[in-house]
Amino acid sequence: MEKTSQHLEDLKTIKSIMEQSSRFLSLSGLSGISAGLFAIAGAIAARLIIKGSVTNAWGYSKAISQTESEGNTIALLLLTAGLVLVLAVSSALFFSYRKARKSGQKIWTPASKRLIINLSIPLAAGGLFILLTLGQLPGSIIAAATLIFYGLALVNAGKFTFGEIYWLGIMEIVTGLLCLAIPGYAFVFWVSGFGILHMGYGTFMYFRYR
Amino acid sequence: MKDILANLDKAFESRIRLGIMSVLMINDSADFITLRELIDVSDGNLASHLRTLEEAGYISIEKRFINKKPNTSYSATPKGSEAFRNHLANLEKLIYRQ
Repeated sequence: MEKTSQHLEDLKTIKSIMEQSSRFLSLSGLSGISAGLFAIAGAIAARLIIKGSVTNAWGYSKAISQTESEGNTIALLLLTAGLVLVLAVSSALFFSYRKARKSGQKIWTPASKRLIINLSIPLAAGGLFILLTLGQLPGSIIAAATLIFYGLALVNAGKFTFGEIYWLGIMEIVTGLLCLAIPGYAFVFWVSGFGILHMGYGTFMYFRYR
Repeated sequence: MKDILANLDKAFESRIRLGIMSVLMINDSADFITLRELIDVSDGNLASHLRTLEEAGYISIEKRFINKKPNTSYSATPKGSEAFRNHLANLEKLIYRQ
């Protein structure tokens, strides 16, 4: 009947407008995949920097004092971390912008602002925690802290975008806790959390919402 | 069937008004530009539908200044929220009765 399809259309309009006005739905799966790739590249770079500094300190670096080379290592690691962050965030923005444009939606909406604020609070707390304890904590605890704070940020952000982000957050937290519980594998857990989980999530979302 | 059709709120006959209420049901308030972008409608059209909803007592309007720029924010009144929920319930009944 004509009328029924009209009422169904009404309900569809309500649903889509409610979703659009409360959740940011232009987050692209591709941004998860690219963030994962950048994280893995960054982790490998960090590994090489740490290894390089150890041979330096032990081997042929009499000229450079121990503290100086340690300072260089930390500076290099921070540079790597910053680079990974910038690349991951800009690729997320790029793919989201592209997806929003394709589906004719805006990227800067009250919903996306709420998403960014709610994501940023735990993330900034985690970032400051790590910067303020720089050099005082072993690498495994830093790796776990990045995973746990990031996971908490995602859990918090889950209400403002795809619900799946919430579960990605839970998995990041679990990975972070495992990283603390099973010592000696910080590198593996970090790569799993930021690299493999991101890529798995991105691939899943890409095919689910294409 | 006739009863329910007669019961359907005239205020929500227009899809634009339906859209406005949908936004205001899950957001405490929204300003004109946000509504215009979400519903994808011209300024004049949106303004006239907002007026209709205001006259029905379904939404309230608050005018204020943000950084010296005028900003009008709209929110659903309790009466409007109830009317919207009733409307949804009626739509559901109509669809499931088929």
